[in-house]
Amino acid sequence: MESHALQIQDSAISGAVKKSRGPLLTPGARCALPVIVLLLLGFAAPLTAVIAYSFAEPHSFNVFSSFSFANYAEIFNTENTVWMSFLWSLSLAAVTVLMLSVIAYPIAYGMVYVFGRWSGLVSTLFVFPLFISENVRLYGWVLFFIKNGVFDGTLNLLGGADAPEVLYSPGIILFGMIYTYLPYMLFPLVLGLSLLPRDVVDAAKDLGASRYQVWREIELPLAMPGFMIGLLLTFVLAVGAIAESKVLGGQSVIVLTHDIEVSFTYAQNWPLGSALAVLITLITGGLTLFMLFKLDLDRVLGRK
Amino acid sequence: MVEFSRRTVLQMLGAGGAVAATSTGFARNAFAAGRDKELNILCWEGYNSAQVLDPFRTEFGATVKAESLTNDPTMVNRLRAGETKVWDLINLNNPWARKLMWPEKLIKPLDQEVFQPYFAKMLPEFKAPFHWAMSDDGKDLLGMAQRFGPYSFVVNTDKVSRKMAEDEGWDLFNDKAIVGRYGVQESDDWNVFDMFLVAGIDPFKVHNDAEMATFLATAKRIYKGAKLIGDMASLNQALISGEIDLYLTGGTYSVSPARADGYPNLRGITPLRGPMNGKGGVMWIEVTSTVNNPNLSPLAPKFLEYVQRPEVAHTVAFAEGTFNPVSQMGNPECFKLFTKDELEAIQWDSLQEEMARSVAYDIVPDYEKALDLLNAAKRERG
Repeated sequence: MESHALQIQDSAISGAVKKSRGPLLTPGARCALPVIVLLLLGFAAPLTAVIAYSFAEPHSFNVFSSFSFANYAEIFNTENTVWMSFLWSLSLAAVTVLMLSVIAYPIAYGMVYVFGRWSGLVSTLFVFPLFISENVRLYGWVLFFIKNGVFDGTLNLLGGADAPEVLYSPGIILFGMIYTYLPYMLFPLVLGLSLLPRDVVDAAKDLGASRYQVWREIELPLAMPGFMIGLLLTFVLAVGAIAESKVLGGQSVIVLTHDIEVSFTYAQNWPLGSALAVLITLITGGLTLFMLFKLDLDRVLGRK
Repeated sequence: MVEFSRRTVLQMLGAGGAVAATSTGFARNAFAAGRDKELNILCWEGYNSAQVLDPFRTEFGATVKAESLTNDPTMVNRLRAGETKVWDLINLNNPWARKLMWPEKLIKPLDQEVFQPYFAKMLPEFKAPFHWAMSDDGKDLLGMAQRFGPYSFVVNTDKVSRKMAEDEGWDLFNDKAIVGRYGVQESDDWNVFDMFLVAGIDPFKVHNDAEMATFLATAKRIYKGAKLIGDMASLNQALISGEIDLYLTGGTYSVSPARADGYPNLRGITPLRGPMNGKGGVMWIEVTSTVNNPNLSPLAPKFLEYVQRPEVAHTVAFAEGTFNPVSQMGNPECFKLFTKDELEAIQWDSLQEEMARSVAYDIVPDYEKALDLLNAAKRERG
């Protein structure tokens, strides 16, 4: 009996030794460990807290200790007009991305193919404003466009005409968003276009492709990785924009981020603010995944 | 040459880690044990300025951290969410100490022997026992009063005369002629008061459905007709440039920086009459209290005494951001430090009568419901 017990103990020890000698994680997983820990702490933990808060009792701090659908029910209540804020945020972001595509493409093209040694200076001109706080730049635009401001004053001086009233309107919010997010579309596009092999374009031209065909069938598909990154980056940033609506737009429209801010401040309803944040994250994430799925990134990146 | 095996390196790293962990532990213990050189303040802007804090830091050899926020509910809820362990002093408008923080045990009472005598040197409105600094039963002193001011609306007197604005009061905002000529400040808690007042309803009571419906209709109309909703800097800028002629909510606190910058034509207005037992204006008084911190810094009461000094009180009045009268102006030693221009900036000429025409900022019993309606009204702007 005793020897049997010893045998079992021996085999357990040898098993443990065998186990300890085998790798616990693959080398790849071990290398990825710091990043995984960082993501868990910096990304997953706050997101979990926000999701948990969205299911807490309204107007409470009972996170993890209460569970309620009341916040979501409040948002989907037919009398609640918060859908208007969702609509404004998503529409403004969509139009911003669309306009930026049209504006940034020729600039990026110029920087890669046309401006030559001047493209460094052009890059600096687009990067430089990023060193100044967004709010300061937007207040600068207010001083430019405001009545009796720089624009109005200059026009008066030159011809006596008054400048059109552009501040405090949805149009100026859009202008502010395009201005703010232009570099985030431009530089991925520049990257995309610079990866384009010149030989392919030359070959297409030699084979008789028109300028439009070269653009449609060669340049655009090959620049698509940069274009996609620019589209997604600017869309996600633009959905979360708030300063443009506040500073330039005089809150002529209420964007969703404003509703979230009010929930966390004046309303002191963190659970409702969290539910709004979760919903907009789901919408943005869903749209992004849908786009990636539809556009088949692997094909775009030329891996298939 | 010394050769390191992997095991030696790991041992050294382990030992180093243990030392680091131990020393951090010691540091944490030291932090928890003695906070006699550390002070954390949660406050409105001004108290966090270098002009106010630096002399205190030097005199007491203290590390002072101050965080400034611009609305009361957020600060109160920071304590409710468990930050009583973090903060030593909290600086809020008048009702919160007495009506909420004291009943919820978020603050500690002050030593009356030390602090009550200071009230004797304040302006007459603040003489002890000062209502907003005392507990309901009148037994405990809950904080010290300093900055205050009337806060209703602001006009450009070149466009709307002071007399007309005071006489028409909140009704001014019911006049269709001013559509597109006014702004609304983004302080939603104060806007709740103002929408009630424009509707002719006392904000500081429980409201029935009909009153709430009137409130909503008024809020929709006011927001729809507003040229902009913005912070006080944007609104002052819009007044100066001529984009707007008046804005609500506003008063000495918001317009004094513009007046000090050379625009005395911009002026805070307190209506002559209104729906609050005949009064039309609302005023605020800041009360600074010691937080119910289990390890309260001994510097907290020291700081409260420090800001009572005439020269420091004057600095607080004209700290960066906004300029405001202070209760210590009742002390001639403090009052004499204010220049003619500074008194002009804070509308000293009409301060007393404006305060007499105002009721103190209070908690709206059905604030949550009113705020929801207010935000719904705001969304209909676009």
